[in-house]
Amino acid sequence: MTDRVRNSSAVWVTTGAVGLIAFWEAFVRVRDVRKFVLLPPSEIVRTFFETPAYYLENMWVTAARLVISLVISLVLAVAVGAALAAWRPLEDASQPMLVLILVTPWVAYISSIQLWVGRGTPTILFLVTFVTAPAFVYATVSGMRGADPAARELFRSVDASTWEVLWHLRLPAALPSLFTAARFNLGLGLAAAYFAEGAALSRNGLGEAGKRAVAFNQGDVLWTTILCTAILGIAAQLAVQLTERWMLRWHASQR
Amino acid sequence: MEDGVGIEVHAAAKTFGTVQAVRPVDLTVAPGEVVTLLGPSGCGKTTLLRLVAGLERETEGTITIDGRSPAEARRSKRIGFVPQAPALLPWRTVAENVSLLQRLRPGCNPAGQPSVGELVDRVGLTDFAAAYPHQLSGGMQQRVALARAFALGAPYLLMDEPFAALDEITRADMRHLLADLCQPLHAAVLFVTHSIAEAVYLSDRVVVLSPRPGRVVGSVEIELARPRVPEIEDDPAFFAHERELRRLLHDGAGR
Repeated sequence: MTDRVRNSSAVWVTTGAVGLIAFWEAFVRVRDVRKFVLLPPSEIVRTFFETPAYYLENMWVTAARLVISLVISLVLAVAVGAALAAWRPLEDASQPMLVLILVTPWVAYISSIQLWVGRGTPTILFLVTFVTAPAFVYATVSGMRGADPAARELFRSVDASTWEVLWHLRLPAALPSLFTAARFNLGLGLAAAYFAEGAALSRNGLGEAGKRAVAFNQGDVLWTTILCTAILGIAAQLAVQLTERWMLRWHASQR
Repeated sequence: MEDGVGIEVHAAAKTFGTVQAVRPVDLTVAPGEVVTLLGPSGCGKTTLLRLVAGLERETEGTITIDGRSPAEARRSKRIGFVPQAPALLPWRTVAENVSLLQRLRPGCNPAGQPSVGELVDRVGLTDFAAAYPHQLSGGMQQRVALARAFALGAPYLLMDEPFAALDEITRADMRHLLADLCQPLHAAVLFVTHSIAEAVYLSDRVVVLSPRPGRVVGSVEIELARPRVPEIEDDPAFFAHERELRRLLHDGAGR
């Protein structure tokens, strides 16, 4: 992407964001929407600056849980995915479990997880790791399987070890699909963390703050919490995008 | 175990299911000798090369490289393999791709490996050492693949139509480059092609194969002076060799 195109794109993104905020503000004011249904952006900013530490602390807690869970999920999924990519029968055998995790709504079994793992942070980490792992596993398997066959043959020609093939060829080949899965998993993981925090599994975090706001009928606090969650999601997406741009600078998607 | 005996193929044949790809073939390549397998598409010359590289197992006969099996030769890095496609790793720079085979199982590296920087210079890519493969033309990518094979310092190089996908002008440049590279490094080369000019220019000996199932139709000593220079392609002796090879190909095809 040239600098000119990039600058032009940034201008349009900013224009879109400003337009959205202006429309949102005008819509709520003109239609006189109740604050529990939707709060105007100016009110959200005012509410945030009344107790900024409260929101920042909760954002930090949720962010830490999200990042830790995703890292655990990624590490486990790459290990499992590498094994599945290496042995087709194992991949076939694991399909029922992976599909089951993907399609079953996690909101339905969160109480069972709570009973099994207990309350608090470990349950939240477990849930986010559990629901995000299948996408990482699929990305690992498809990426590793897609490694250039001619390059695989080249590695065979010097009798490269399984570890060398994995590290020098299969894992880098899986990076593009892993980044795609990471972007998908950020939204899924954030939703799971928010819900799990709110489902009385935690004493802090954005989900818990949102649930408490609902319980005390505080529409302004609820919407400020929601926007903080969205900002956290955007920041995480940006971080992944920047990392992707740097790590995949060789890939067609980044040119 | 014998050193410096060369490649010896005794009555080696290959059958895939019910399809016979190569009829029993006898072939020798002495240390430092450049031998080309010339034949029409599908005649089994690539299969024969892959048998020598240990990437396929012969169904009959024996193949040895300096008295060892192809699998042992691969393990001791006595073979440098150049596939049809350059098979460069897109996430590694030119210099990193050239050093790839050296870095795999470094404990088995042959003595006297050429320096990566020198090889990058010799293939004319000094200014592109830090470039990624997608920034190179097809000919430049194939030069990197050649440098990567030579960087291994293996006494035997097996090349599977490495210039097949290139245009005629680039192809001529590449055969001149390959002849230049072979001269001081004294590696034996088993080269597969269906280009008669390429076979004459590069080889000490050309082995002509019949259409599938491949069998040896004849062997022609190329008595042209070394080092080979591009002007030699205008020499009457060059044309005479081309004519002889063309006749053998026609005889082999039963025309």
